[in-house]
Amino acid sequence: MIKEVITVILLVVGCFFFLAGTLGLLRFPDLFSRLHALTKADNLGLGFIAAGMAVYIASPWVAVKIFFIWLFTLLASSTSSYLIARFQKEQEQTKNRKE
Amino acid sequence: MSVLIDILLAILVIYLALQSLLAPRLSQSVFLFFAFGLALALAWVRLGAVDVAITEAAIASGFLGVLFLDALRDFSPRSSEEQKNISTVQNSRSRNSVKSLLLPRLSLVLGLGLFLLIALEAVWNIPDGGGLAADAEKLLPQSGVEHPVTAVLINFRAYDTWLEIGVILLGLLAVFAVGKIQIYRKPIPVVDDILLRQVILFFTPVLFLFGAFLLYFGKTGPGGAFQAAVLWGAIGILLHLGGRPIFLLIPRWLGQLLLTLGLLFFLILGFLFIAGGATLFEYPPAYAGVLILIVETLAAISIAAALTAMFANLNQMKKEESNKIDSTN
Repeated sequence: MIKEVITVILLVVGCFFFLAGTLGLLRFPDLFSRLHALTKADNLGLGFIAAGMAVYIASPWVAVKIFFIWLFTLLASSTSSYLIARFQKEQEQTKNRKE
Repeated sequence: MSVLIDILLAILVIYLALQSLLAPRLSQSVFLFFAFGLALALAWVRLGAVDVAITEAAIASGFLGVLFLDALRDFSPRSSEEQKNISTVQNSRSRNSVKSLLLPRLSLVLGLGLFLLIALEAVWNIPDGGGLAADAEKLLPQSGVEHPVTAVLINFRAYDTWLEIGVILLGLLAVFAVGKIQIYRKPIPVVDDILLRQVILFFTPVLFLFGAFLLYFGKTGPGGAFQAAVLWGAIGILLHLGGRPIFLLIPRWLGQLLLTLGLLFFLILGFLFIAGGATLFEYPPAYAGVLILIVETLAAISIAAALTAMFANLNQMKKEESNKIDSTN
């Protein structure tokens, strides 16, 4: 019973962060602040959802696997958002130079 | 409750497919297609076909995604102006020729309707007891593996799988034929980014290990050569994007060997079986397990090499074109 309650709380918190990240993606004015909203909020949300799943399944081996999934997602998403931001910055710089 | 999830998922898949087809801009279509691939993978998981789900996620959203994004980048810089011109031209043309479009549309609707009827009829007539499933289960101990899907793919219907590997190679040959083969050897400018390089260096062994795990796990559960090949192909694509194009660094003959290894070994094995008095791809049960593992490993290497080469070649062609445009300007 306690296990289910903890799972539900973690999942709801995770969903809240995903919702906040998506709201940021839709409402923020430029690419950099959108990326910031997405990477920060979504990775935290994914962490909470992963934690919720780990608590629900309640097996140490599966928990380790879920932790690694979260870790790899963190690495991949932060690197790709960095690359997107770098590309955008270079684009803007070349545009400024032309003007 | 689970029926509710399934119904929602089915609606989501159809909705995403429609949106992907009807989206006004090319980039929207591509991103909706990714979402469609992931939703489809989820649907396969709900149907209990984890093998198909992994392949769907890896091929449709992974490999095709990379190719689509690559193509999209090629179209995007000149898209806004030219697309506007094209759409105005199309609009004026379509107004004149509404009548001539009626016949193709009518035949399309009729053809799709016929297809739908045939599909419904086929679903209606699925035999009780799942067709050949019982036979496959019965022969499983002789196949050398413990997972029925792998047994069917590499042993019972090895001929199909052998041809599939050939189809991937044919696709690569088509890419070679469309592009020019000489430019395949030219070096590309190295992307110098320390973070990208470190992350790629970190992910390369992880992806290799995970691919090897999927390959070996295919013996007892969902996994196998194709899933492993996509992960290994991802290594090649990542290294290519990080400025280490494998196919330019290794000698040409080695690249060709890697590409054809799987198909060739499979074929030689088949002929050896015939020479030994059996039929094509009839594994001797005593050695079946080892032979299947070797076949799968070599097939995975070949498919991974083919996927990498496909991406590398397409990526290369564009670099060449843009260089040409730059030099003429």
